[in-house]
Amino acid sequence: MLVAERVSKAYGVASGVNFMAVRELSLAVAEGEFVCLIGASGCGKSTLLNMFAGFIQPSAGRVLLRGEPITRIEPRCGMVFQSYALFPWKTVRGNVEFGLKMKGVAPAERRRVADRFIALVKLTGFEDRYPVELSGGMQQRVTLARILAADPEVLLMDEPFGALDALTRQVMQEELLRIHEESRKTTLFITHNIDEALILADRIVVMSARPGRVKAVVANRLPRPRQVSIQLSREYGELKSEIWGQVQEEVRKYVEPVR
Amino acid sequence: MTPLEEEDAPPELPLAGASPERRRRLRARLALLLKVLSVSAFLALWSAATSLGWISSVFLPSPGAVAAAAGKLVATGELWTAVLASTQRVLLGFALAGAVAVPLGIVMGVWWPAKAIVDPFVSLLRPLPSITWIPLSILWLGIGESQKVAIVFMGSWVYILLYTLESTKRVDPLLIRAARNLGASDLAIMREVILPGALPGILAGLKVTLAISWSCIITAEMVAAQSGLGALIWFAKDWGNLSLVLVGMAGISLTVLATDLLAERLERLLLPWERYRRG
Repeated sequence: MLVAERVSKAYGVASGVNFMAVRELSLAVAEGEFVCLIGASGCGKSTLLNMFAGFIQPSAGRVLLRGEPITRIEPRCGMVFQSYALFPWKTVRGNVEFGLKMKGVAPAERRRVADRFIALVKLTGFEDRYPVELSGGMQQRVTLARILAADPEVLLMDEPFGALDALTRQVMQEELLRIHEESRKTTLFITHNIDEALILADRIVVMSARPGRVKAVVANRLPRPRQVSIQLSREYGELKSEIWGQVQEEVRKYVEPVR
Repeated sequence: MTPLEEEDAPPELPLAGASPERRRRLRARLALLLKVLSVSAFLALWSAATSLGWISSVFLPSPGAVAAAAGKLVATGELWTAVLASTQRVLLGFALAGAVAVPLGIVMGVWWPAKAIVDPFVSLLRPLPSITWIPLSILWLGIGESQKVAIVFMGSWVYILLYTLESTKRVDPLLIRAARNLGASDLAIMREVILPGALPGILAGLKVTLAISWSCIITAEMVAAQSGLGALIWFAKDWGNLSLVLVGMAGISLTVLATDLLAERLERLLLPWERYRRG
């Protein structure tokens, strides 16, 4: 459904030297699948996600949604930003209604749908608050409700829980799991947290250090529905050490030249 | 008082042991008392200086004389006429400047050719104090109301334009991206993201410029006008009536303060989402 074909992305930097963020990366995400991209900082994960959203264009290769190249900002690929990107001048309801408003949905229907998604992320009672009045976790839930209400075909999530504390993060992961069980939306989720990837993903894609390419793909055999308690199982431990082995090499490559 | 000073201040004895909330209230009351005391001390000093003959009344009238002049001016209604005349000119010129400069600034912020076309004029006109427009404006428009309004306009529009341009350009590109990702068209981006995103900056710019507009009108009225606060103090100077000059200055100060307060109210009304941040 969502495909990257030998995609490369180079950025020109001030010195004129090209900086390769992603090189000849190929990846395919199936309908309804939950894929986690994992890799060290600076490995081009966000670059790849931004290409799928159509925010940036690949320097070489193609990104495709249902077989059609993505050449401009693609509302069918809804993005959840790490920094929330909520409209500060809109209330929670105003933010969640935004995508529907852009589609020309009538106000009454907009409100009905928005309130349903606000309830889904457990923010009922906060509809008329402004984002500044909410905690980080609540703001990220608004972002989630906003994108779900817009009903894109694919969810792109760029370290959405990266700015949250460990406990809030765990709660958000369980909520995302629950929402995903219900909606079965195709999801591409970036993280640098192996536990997060193991709890959420059907498939975990480990990226190499810069320039980013696919180093390994690990199928997550853990049974669904999952709870955070699955971390205690033996299988979990095996998977984790397998992925850790892959990641470790790359992190070393990234860290050592700096020393 | 800045928060830093508040935190650094050693605990005053009578306040020690009180709850923070109580201490804050007590401190506010003390601050008010100090304000009243400092103004009273100033008036007393002024009174002493004039009644004891330290300063000749030719140079500085006594507070009593100023108060008497103020009373007379209020009673005859002259003060209100002057305030009204100036306010009307300021608001008209300021509104015209805003009506031109705000839309222009937004267009310049989102469409670079517009900025390239207007930029040279902005660069050339910005350094000119509004007073330099007085000769031309009198030649073109005479010394009637339209000339006063024109001076306010010429002194204000560039600032409004620059503030609007800056605030438009500083709208977070991530929010524009997010809106597009949610399916917004160019028009919707303008209406839903750029306008509300730039609004706080535009309003802040308007507030600063309003004070500039006031100084423009006072200058214009001093040079050529039959009415208004600027004319009032200029005529009073010609008659050697220093009390009246001081009353006029106080009148200007109070009128500008009042419009500032009104502007602040309006701002809070228009920006409900900023209320929380400002507390």
